[in-house]
Amino acid sequence: MNENIWVLASADSVAIATTLILAALGALFTERSGVLNLGIEGILLTAAISSFLAADASGSIWLGLLIGSLAGALLAGIHALLSVVLRANQIVAGLALVIFGTGLANFLGKPVEGKTVTTIIHPLSFGALSDIPLVGPIVFGQDIITYASIAIAILSSLYLFRSRPGLELRATGDDPATVDAQGLSVASIRIRYTLFGGLLVGLGGSWLMLAQSAAWHQASTTNGIGWIALALVVFAGWRPLRLIFGAVLFGFTLQLPFTLQAEQITFIPSALMQMLPYLATLVALIALSRPSTRNKLGAPKALGTPFVRDER
Amino acid sequence: MRSPIRIVFEQRNETPKYLSTLVPLISVIAALVAGGLFLLATGYSPIDTYSNMLSDGFTSSRGITDTLGLSTVLICTGISAAFAFQMNLYNIGGEGQLYLGMIGGAWAGLALGDRLPSFVMIPTVLLLGSLAGAVWILIPAYVRSRLGTSEIVTTLLLTYVAASLVDHFVYSPGSFFVTKNSAFPQGRLVPDSASLTAFGDTSLYPTFFLVALLALVLYWVVKRTEFGYRIQVIADSPRAAHYAGINANRTTLSVMLISGALSGLGGAALIVGPFGRLDPGITLLGYGYAGIVIAALARNNFSAIIVSGILFAGLRSGGDKLQISTDTPIHIGVMLQGAILLFALGGEAFRRYRIHAVRAERAAQ
Amino acid sequence: MTNTSHEVAKGPHHESGAAPSALSAHSIVKRFPGVLANDSVDFDVLPGEVHTLLGENGAGKSTLAAMLCGLYQPDSGYITRNGERIALSSPRAGLQHGIAMVHQHFRLVERFTVAENVILGSRDLSFRLNRSELENRVSAVAESYGLPIEPGATVGDLSVGQRQRVEIVKALYQGAEILLLDEPTAVLVPAEVEKLFENVHAMTQAGKSIVFISHKLGEVVEISDRVTVLRNGRVTGHVSGRGTTDTKELARLMVGRDIELTTQRASHATGHEVLQIRDLSLNVGGVSVLSDISFNVHAGEMVGIAGVAGNGQRELADTIAGLLSPTSGSVAITGSMSTDRGPIHARELGLAYVPEDRLGMGLVPSMSILDNLLLTRDRHIVVDRASVQPEAVRLIDQFEIKANGPEHIARKLSGGNAQKVLLARELSGGRSATKLLVVCSPTRGLDVGAIETVRALLDDARSAGQAILLISEDLDEVMSLSDRILVLYRGSIVHETPGESAQLATVGAAMAGLSTEGNA
Repeated sequence: MNENIWVLASADSVAIATTLILAALGALFTERSGVLNLGIEGILLTAAISSFLAADASGSIWLGLLIGSLAGALLAGIHALLSVVLRANQIVAGLALVIFGTGLANFLGKPVEGKTVTTIIHPLSFGALSDIPLVGPIVFGQDIITYASIAIAILSSLYLFRSRPGLELRATGDDPATVDAQGLSVASIRIRYTLFGGLLVGLGGSWLMLAQSAAWHQASTTNGIGWIALALVVFAGWRPLRLIFGAVLFGFTLQLPFTLQAEQITFIPSALMQMLPYLATLVALIALSRPSTRNKLGAPKALGTPFVRDER
Repeated sequence: MRSPIRIVFEQRNETPKYLSTLVPLISVIAALVAGGLFLLATGYSPIDTYSNMLSDGFTSSRGITDTLGLSTVLICTGISAAFAFQMNLYNIGGEGQLYLGMIGGAWAGLALGDRLPSFVMIPTVLLLGSLAGAVWILIPAYVRSRLGTSEIVTTLLLTYVAASLVDHFVYSPGSFFVTKNSAFPQGRLVPDSASLTAFGDTSLYPTFFLVALLALVLYWVVKRTEFGYRIQVIADSPRAAHYAGINANRTTLSVMLISGALSGLGGAALIVGPFGRLDPGITLLGYGYAGIVIAALARNNFSAIIVSGILFAGLRSGGDKLQISTDTPIHIGVMLQGAILLFALGGEAFRRYRIHAVRAERAAQ
Repeated sequence: MTNTSHEVAKGPHHESGAAPSALSAHSIVKRFPGVLANDSVDFDVLPGEVHTLLGENGAGKSTLAAMLCGLYQPDSGYITRNGERIALSSPRAGLQHGIAMVHQHFRLVERFTVAENVILGSRDLSFRLNRSELENRVSAVAESYGLPIEPGATVGDLSVGQRQRVEIVKALYQGAEILLLDEPTAVLVPAEVEKLFENVHAMTQAGKSIVFISHKLGEVVEISDRVTVLRNGRVTGHVSGRGTTDTKELARLMVGRDIELTTQRASHATGHEVLQIRDLSLNVGGVSVLSDISFNVHAGEMVGIAGVAGNGQRELADTIAGLLSPTSGSVAITGSMSTDRGPIHARELGLAYVPEDRLGMGLVPSMSILDNLLLTRDRHIVVDRASVQPEAVRLIDQFEIKANGPEHIARKLSGGNAQKVLLARELSGGRSATKLLVVCSPTRGLDVGAIETVRALLDDARSAGQAILLISEDLDEVMSLSDRILVLYRGSIVHETPGESAQLATVGAAMAGLSTEGNA
């Protein structure tokens, strides 16, 4: 067996994990405020095509990332409007966002279907460090957004558990009535973090486009990563640090079909190999819901419930 | 003193009946208007696009029967979603269950060959398709009822698995489902005994009436039977169900399995109807996802789903043709679906609450 | 009544020449859909005094308090602080003016520590939180008022009394000068009430103003410097003077007529044993919730279970009703074992169960009265509503339920009427004639009229020979109704006494775990 290809596979796992980390962090912030946004997949797609079009038109990756992130926040804004302001059913609102986002992305992407973006994000160069066997490609072979996503996850953990606004955010997801009684605005906190969450998801989608895919291929650009990100939040117990490890793990299952194909391992048909990441996610979700583990996970108690001040 | 304006949501004691019709209707219109503005902004003609859509979907007699034909599968996925949604079970994997219905139905048709008469074959194909849809939701349903695993993500993940399964059955060499020695992979047609004849030169099949009848039967089941009573109790308050000795686990399992079977039936209806074979193109059409929108628009009311299903079929059958008749991408149809649902959800607030703006300081003299 | 003045709705400034009130409400009007909750209410509180808002449930006292702390805004009228008019647009504005509310349902995040809860929402904190420094600061504030708390403890692990203390510390930490205490004693045992009153005293000594909200006459008289009585959203009287007030007079002002809530305990000849519980133990998730409980209830007897919430009452009721399976021991109804055979079997043996949670457990909120009557009955495969219709009409009439008819939705009933529907269903029998009635907190949250009706219904059921197990956190209720009183503490019965000779002090001590019979 070719050892080199497995090192590359591990490096790929870390790379794919970037989108998962950013998308899952976005979902995590949203959910910590008590809002369930199932629309991640739609947001990823819309952000991806927006970043493609922006980068393609301007020739600037950074503008692409910015426009993609803003598109993510914009779509999340629709969710915030519906679920926080208008108190709609958050589950259905999220699904509507997936459908809307998918249609929108495919509509915008129609003229550039199959086209490659002219400028893409390249891995950073660490000189000799990248040549270290094993460690080199995995640790020093990534691009700036990958390093940034890990940094963002670490900062998020500090923010969530060691800062005043983090305390308020966690309280809002757990017990909005208490936050309200403290004179903080539940609605404003929820809207802010839903938007911020959308921004992160948008960044993840843009990176996926500009660094991973480089070409627009309709829905197969994201291939359900948004849903895996949602499962990842559960897997990580709503904690940013655990999320990094989970993302690498899920990233591994996502790239495995390609590696096996490259390795010419064909005793499992490739179409069936494509199922692997989804089945692995499914198994993880089921394993986590055993009563003994569920309580320890610590889902925000008010997740998915609109807050209405108790008018008698 | 400044007088900021506050938006006040006042819960309605009694929801006026007309609002239940008006809100979805306005949602559709608002989505079309918003979509039109979007088309205009992206350089398309909204009037041409919509008139094409409508004339195809609703005005010509050919368009109308096509609409009814397409609505068959949409009503299936609609009642499938609604049946689960009404008990707060969010089966959003109707899409995957639909694929399995096709696989199951096609398998039955191909395996039994031309040996049995139509009146045995057709029900068998439909039954096996439904069964396959139910099997596809079995694991999410079981872990939901036993362990409380949220069915939302699990049912959806299985849709991706189902899509790969369809690909596998169509593209793997020597598959049972494809024509041997064919130049390019293509599903094998089921025998004539497993195919229904469309009315005249249309794409309207008798399955439409079967499915419409099924929607009405489900309506009756929920409103009038013990099973429906249990569903209503559990949907509203699981603790009251426990108190009354109603086994929520078993009901949850049954409801989800039935929901999966209904989507599967939709897939099987495509086998006996227009498709006649396992067609990988199904994974691009999104009929299962549309069911979610249709159910939500009808607020999970089964008889209303017949109406919203036909309405959506009109948008779709027009939209599916758009690509041919104009250069407007097909995806505007999907986008409109999403937009309609978004507007309907927003409109729901106006149905439930009396919303008005007040000046915060009005009170002070 | 030497110090009593009856200045009905004459305005707050009845003590001319006194210091300006710390907080006053002037002609406050507040409407909710269909209800006039406050009808030009005047109220004021002075620095260093305890001013009580007295009124029964629904009189409008909580609504007034909510406006005083900024949670609601009045439709008309205004509020002044130290004589200056202020706008309380939110609880935050209230806190900025030094007004804090301690809610009846605590506003604490259970997963947070005491310190985290206390500091939540404070604006004077740095962005970065230093845990140990915060805990020291919180301790310092608590100790300066003699309120011992453990800042690092998780709130979810604390007793009700301790949580209340956390709430008070939170208000003080935020610099509250005026504390509104909404029914603070409702959840406490007598010993904890005494401790609370000591704390209130310490706070008034320090110049804080306390607005005490209650409907319990005895404690109101004990704690208050002044009392304002509300009825149906209007002020019906002001009474001043600590400890010298006539409770009869207060009761009349509160209810608008003379009431007699202590039902006569007629001596009945009690019959055979309807409920037999033997060595019942229950573990939930490895934690012992009930241990070695044995007692009987006879036909025509009402046995009261007293205890502080969370000592196993709900689990005991659920186990008897067949909703929980005991870890060991047995439950028998009318001589037949009902252990482990489910709620339907228990009902077939003659059980009826009125759970504490009326809407959401006993009744399905979105269903009609008719459908709710069917909840505990045999419904057939196709639900036969037509045949129950006449009975529904009859029960609505017989139990004097205020409803538009059998199609009236349960959620839209008042608390009292919802309870009547529940009692109507349970007392009228379903799967078999009712022989044993288990009722939990049957009058909680009801107004005085409904309380009288519900108690009368229970009394009638007892007279008709039904065995009744009354489980209630309202000690007065248990004391005044029961033939026999059992005290449940940490899942064990620690005290038993006949109802007639029961002593409030002894039962209260047992509830607090201080009984000589149990392990204190």
